[in-house]
Amino acid sequence: MTIEIKDVCKSFDGQQVLKGFNLNIESEHSYILTGPSGCGKTTLLRLILGLDKPDSGTVKLLGDYKYPFINSGMVFQEDRLCDNLDAVTNVTMVSKKVFRETVIEELQKLLPKELIFKQVKELSGGEKRRVAIVRACAVPSDILIMDEPFTGLDDSTRKIAIDYIRDKQGSGPLVITTHDTKGLEFGRIVRF
Amino acid sequence: MGEKNAPVGRILRTVIPVAAWILIWQLLAIIVQNRIILAGPYDTLSALIVLVRTEVFWSSVSATSVRILTGFFAGSVIGIALGCLAFKKAFIGDFLKPFVSALKSVPVASFVILLLIWFGSRNISVIICSMVVFPILYLSTIEGLKATDYRLLEMAHVFRMPISRQIRYIYVPQLMPFFRSAFKLAIGMSFKSGIAAEVIGQPLNTIGNGLYLSKVYLETGELFAWTIVVVLISFICEKIISLILKLF
Repeated sequence: MTIEIKDVCKSFDGQQVLKGFNLNIESEHSYILTGPSGCGKTTLLRLILGLDKPDSGTVKLLGDYKYPFINSGMVFQEDRLCDNLDAVTNVTMVSKKVFRETVIEELQKLLPKELIFKQVKELSGGEKRRVAIVRACAVPSDILIMDEPFTGLDDSTRKIAIDYIRDKQGSGPLVITTHDTKGLEFGRIVRF
Repeated sequence: MGEKNAPVGRILRTVIPVAAWILIWQLLAIIVQNRIILAGPYDTLSALIVLVRTEVFWSSVSATSVRILTGFFAGSVIGIALGCLAFKKAFIGDFLKPFVSALKSVPVASFVILLLIWFGSRNISVIICSMVVFPILYLSTIEGLKATDYRLLEMAHVFRMPISRQIRYIYVPQLMPFFRSAFKLAIGMSFKSGIAAEVIGQPLNTIGNGLYLSKVYLETGELFAWTIVVVLISFICEKIISLILKLF
């Protein structure tokens, strides 16, 4: 699968965020999008997901991809978890193909066991982030897209999270936005 | 120690004001000294005891309750369903807007008289309750859906979350606070409007009919007794609905 981003321009309220942006996102490759806040990283992810449309240019899905939309696992910039539900339910709820036993096992790779049955609102920012990472990786997907997935994680948990994501990447591409590229040198760094 | 006394304190906070108001009521009855103008708590209780021993009382209570609750459920289901449709399709909302505004502002008595002409008195409280409950649930559903976190909906869209799961995990939790207050208001309004419809429409063996006869025979004690019965049924129904809603 290849996603071709060609001459993409996007502006909000008269302010140009992306200008003539080009990138080919290919299977089995990782892309680390980095740059200052407001440079268009999140905007680009939204364009890839089809949540926004470019003002000009194209975002195309090339190859023999059989679905009309990209099947993606996503970590949003905000956690977008249901606060009153526990971590396990937050992950299992998104798809029928995600099984409870597997999710419990997966969550324990990133979180202490005693936290995974707590309501998400009781978790810290970093803990919520890890739940969001497991959710993105648990869903069968053709691409993993992660918007600032390591916010609130200390160095050791960040490393564990990176290893976890790489392990779950599979054959699809991985796109991560971040301010800090430390530990992400395995991917192609795209500076904005 | 303080925690152990908390339930007792809660009960006292309810019982003491009620007892105080009964005392004020009794004092007023003593001052007025006219059972037709103001029956005291003792007269009301005596009338209630006499009433509950009659067969008519129980048939009236059951007939009125069944009709009002049927109207309440019908109005709720229609209100929620049309609220969802109006949220999804703006033209349905626009189409229903004048009808809902009319239902909200036209006096119940006007509808009752019109419905008496059209359908007779037998099931008038069912229709009136539905008409009173419908706009409350309809508007609450729309408000609740509008307040649903768009970020969660976008997440559901990205993950291709099935609609049944979206309803269960995103919409229902967001709608519940709106439904709690709406159902509480609706059940109270149902009994108020349903009984009013029965008083005007006069279907036999109903609480409304009992209230009307109390008025005709100037039995103020009995009138108060019926009123207390209505308040009690409404209170019990409200508690049952609250318990059901807590399951979600």
